[in-house]
Amino acid sequence: MWETVAQAVINGLLIGGIYALVSIGVTLIFGVVKIVNFAQGEFVMIGMYISFFLANQFGIDPLLSLFVSMPVLFVIGVLIQHFLIRRVLGPNDMPQIFLTFALSLLLLNLALMLFTANYRTVHTSYSDEALHVGGLYIPVAKLIAFVVAMALSGALWVFLHTTDLGKAMRAAAQNRDVAMLMGINPNRVFCVALGIALALAGAAGSLLMPFYSAYPFVGQVFVLMAFVAVVLGTLGNVIGALIASLMMGIAESLGVQYVGADSGLIVVFAMLLLTLAFKPTGLGGGRAR
Amino acid sequence: MMTHGLSTRSVVLLAIGIAVLVALPLLVKSSFAIDIFIRILLFSFIGAAWNLMGGYAKQLSLGHAAYFGLGAYTSTILQIDFNISPWIGMIAGGVVAMLASLPIGWLCFRLRGPYFTIATIATAQALMLIFLKFRDFAWGAEGTTIPNLGSAPLMMQFETKAAYYYVALGLLAVALIITWLIERSWIGYYLVAIGEDEDAAEAIGVNAPRMKRDIYMISAFLTALAGTFYTQYIYFIDPATAFSFNISIEAALVSIVGGIGTLWGPVIGTILLETTSTLLQSWLGSSIGGVQLTVYALILMAVILWRPTGLMGMIDEARHRFVSRKPAQA
Repeated sequence: MWETVAQAVINGLLIGGIYALVSIGVTLIFGVVKIVNFAQGEFVMIGMYISFFLANQFGIDPLLSLFVSMPVLFVIGVLIQHFLIRRVLGPNDMPQIFLTFALSLLLLNLALMLFTANYRTVHTSYSDEALHVGGLYIPVAKLIAFVVAMALSGALWVFLHTTDLGKAMRAAAQNRDVAMLMGINPNRVFCVALGIALALAGAAGSLLMPFYSAYPFVGQVFVLMAFVAVVLGTLGNVIGALIASLMMGIAESLGVQYVGADSGLIVVFAMLLLTLAFKPTGLGGGRAR
Repeated sequence: MMTHGLSTRSVVLLAIGIAVLVALPLLVKSSFAIDIFIRILLFSFIGAAWNLMGGYAKQLSLGHAAYFGLGAYTSTILQIDFNISPWIGMIAGGVVAMLASLPIGWLCFRLRGPYFTIATIATAQALMLIFLKFRDFAWGAEGTTIPNLGSAPLMMQFETKAAYYYVALGLLAVALIITWLIERSWIGYYLVAIGEDEDAAEAIGVNAPRMKRDIYMISAFLTALAGTFYTQYIYFIDPATAFSFNISIEAALVSIVGGIGTLWGPVIGTILLETTSTLLQSWLGSSIGGVQLTVYALILMAVILWRPTGLMGMIDEARHRFVSRKPAQA
């Protein structure tokens, strides 16, 4: 009995690490730039296709292609902030919402046109490997993904708290006007925030590739999860998003185990609706940090 | 339209417009063309319903498929299980949608801006999942076909496409009249105030939560009517069509492209987008998936970056330039 529960918790925790990379990106952009990036899931998809093509054409291991997908998506993030998002920042929400939404629509449908709706998979030597620890089954690919995801999240935390640029980003998140008065260049900070957030999404894509299929709509699964985690973890709060993502992974996995195979999403929506009903400010309460 | 009454010129223009629209199916016999006209009328109608809340009060919902689907399912269940005419089912569906908008609004309005948008997406998706999962009362994922009775106007089934055209035209007329009445009443000004700055509106005595709730109910009611009509038109219903995310997208898209918070915006936006999509299909065929939405996304981005007031804004600008030049020459 306890083994089934423990197994479901482990499965959820491992995939929760991937959700965390996506949610941290969403919450970072929301905290610093004050916009919601509806296209975040599509950048996970791009990360996956980058890894797929590198593996397919040059036989590069998806984990190594992390070193390609992350810089490429960082650059895309900087360009998107500089040429698109910068133009719609203002008091009015409408252009921001529909610009990133249009971007999501565009990338998704371009992928559909270019790569078709087929599922693409990469088979690695460790794709089917698993560790057996006291009756529990831990897939190696998912474990690696989880460990790398946590390492990246930790690196981001160190960056935000120890470097000047990281501190500038946190300052801009707390109070943009005062940060500008202190000589922080907002566009530069925003570019870095977008770059880091997209690089994390790209990393999520590459880490997923050994055990998950790439297809144009794949990002939707992750972005929905990320939005819920970001609300649950209090908007703009990086640690909150991380913890909430792991919780969501576990809740989804328990839902699949005990309610039925297709109920994962229902659990997610139920969590979102319950959060909205009882704790609209997130579990951390209070304001976004 | 800032004038309070109707000027003689706009009455004449309106009369000509109505005459053309009524005569159109008599002049155009191609059922392909009529089908496109019906799509334009239907999506203008859905866009107008969305625009009431999304355009005037700037509550940017991307979950209006929820009400489209509820309307479609209510009338279909009433028709198939209880043999009740879809005309009655249509109104019943509207009422169901209106009632559903209360708890959904109660939840979603707790969030503002982009997170309101996300919450509306989630509720529409959740409803789709419910209808997929519970097969005893709603046929599950396979959906069902509507029994074809041949010519049965009382059951909203017609032999000619022209009849459907007139139903859609009637729906659009209702939505535009409601919009026109709201736009020029205190309700319209309150909604615009909420859309501009909700806190400021509340500070001057606008009951924002109540206004938002009420306009959401009207918007949901109208959207549900479209759901019933569409199901009767295509003789088929399943959760993926009835709660399709594309319905939510198109409702918002036509309004933004045409001109958010304007009477004619959704109509003009739909004409542009549907014409583009038809042309694309006849040039490229429907073989390549994603072409239509790729083009829609590009149009949406272009509008947001260069013309946030939409096509109506461009038309107004052109008219002002024309009008202001005249006295200078005189």
